Amino acid sequence: MLGLRALVGIGVLVTSQGARALSKKTSCPLLGGSITPHLECPRRLLSMAQPIKYLGQEEAQRIDEELFTEYQFSVDQLMELAGLSCATAIVRTYPLDSLVKRKPSVLVVCGPGNNGGDGLVCARHLKLFGYEPSIIYPKRPNKPLFQNLVVQCEKMDIPFLSEMPSEAEVIDEAYNLVVDAIFGFSFQGAVREPFSSILATLRKITVPIASVDIPSGWDVEKGSPDGLQPDLLISLTAPKKAATHFRGRYHFLGGRFVPAALEKKYQLNLPPYPGTDCVLQLT
Amino acid sequence: MNHSSNDPDSEPNEPLRYLSKDEVAALETELLSDYRFGQQQLIEIWGHACAVAIAKAFPLGTLAKKQPTVLVVCGPDQNGSVGLVCARHLRIFEYEPTIFYPKRSPQSLHQDFTVQCEKMDIPFLSYLPTEVQLINDAYNLVIDAILGPEADYTDVKEPYSSILATLKQIKIPIVSVDVPSGWNADEPGTDGINPEVLISLTVPKRCAASFLGKHFLVGRFLPYDIQKKYELNLPEYPGTDCLIQL
Repeated sequence: MLGLRALVGIGVLVTSQGARALSKKTSCPLLGGSITPHLECPRRLLSMAQPIKYLGQEEAQRIDEELFTEYQFSVDQLMELAGLSCATAIVRTYPLDSLVKRKPSVLVVCGPGNNGGDGLVCARHLKLFGYEPSIIYPKRPNKPLFQNLVVQCEKMDIPFLSEMPSEAEVIDEAYNLVVDAIFGFSFQGAVREPFSSILATLRKITVPIASVDIPSGWDVEKGSPDGLQPDLLISLTAPKKAATHFRGRYHFLGGRFVPAALEKKYQLNLPPYPGTDCVLQLT
Repeated sequence: MNHSSNDPDSEPNEPLRYLSKDEVAALETELLSDYRFGQQQLIEIWGHACAVAIAKAFPLGTLAKKQPTVLVVCGPDQNGSVGLVCARHLRIFEYEPTIFYPKRSPQSLHQDFTVQCEKMDIPFLSYLPTEVQLINDAYNLVIDAILGPEADYTDVKEPYSSILATLKQIKIPIVSVDVPSGWNADEPGTDGINPEVLISLTVPKRCAASFLGKHFLVGRFLPYDIQKKYELNLPEYPGTDCLIQL
């Protein structure tokens, strides 16, 4: 019956992308025989066969590049989803009623690039979730994206500290946890000030650290035995090789926006996220 | 603002406000200019939350048809773009959306959303059949992302007037994004389409005050200051949820 088939795009003029997708038929051993691509193998079962992939630095950069060029995502869109995932993972790991200090204070340390931007979005969502974030953002890129994120935080009454407390004890007293949004997967080479001092201080604190994507200062592939030791790591898009050296208690995956084609191309083997959740607990 | 209260009945709340078209336009202008939210950012937040609401109202396992097909009808402006983002997230949530987007916005901001959907292998129909039975048979539900509150409901142009005429006759549920397309945003609808579910974006509009179906509010990003300024009296979003069922 042409009518029905027409409505799911077969037999009707569709865009070239759609036509290519619909003309492929795949066979699914689990469901038997040849099936149309929309009726894919249950991802759950397929991904259990292969372990999740840990990306190298170059791969991670290429995927990022493709998301913005080929897939035409904007940085704002993905940063919003990434920041939301971070905040959600933090809430799951450190729920409001588990915090020990009188106030649900959180220190968010934002670096000079996109990792810092993720931190700004995360701080905003933490505020909406009832936490009291304070932000340290010493080096701000001169781009509207970041300037706007700062205004959004300021308008939510999120304080920006003028400087990082240099004593670990001060941080331990004032905050329940620290969100490390300093360096991400593009990090290479030497750490410049003020971040080297900041990282030195963070290495001494006793309150938990939640790192966004990569524990800052770590080699993105090899990790770092005397670097930061976060309690929570939120890998975005897919975990990087550094995550194999992660010794903290909690590892979440966030950034639930990866198109199936991209996942397949890089063989990410991402496990399925539960329901409509934007985070997946890996450990 | 500390959301420590778990019992909504324990504190006296002012009633939720339903805003007029003009108030909504003013609020949105403020969000973009004073609060420096980006349009793509907001559309992403709304579209994602709409998909979550749809998944809540129509969980995968409960759909009548064998395949979780959803038709998403997108209009030419912001409402349509929210529909595109919603379709993309529905795909991620393992629904099978198909998009009908007859008049594409020329703005690059909105065009990006189209490419993102195409790259997720979401099919775009080239026409919408007028035979209602075909739609009833092929899809589990229809997402109406045609017209937003700013649209002129008295002068709905083609192809939307025909589309709305078709949608008025379908038997499968309609989920409307923000306002049921063709309704006067300031008044309850009389003979427009009759959605089963309404997903209000950010704030409910006046026309939703007498809406009898399932009503969700999404858009959990509004700063407290602006809520107070417009006296919105929004209920609390539960936990980390991005939607409230009103």
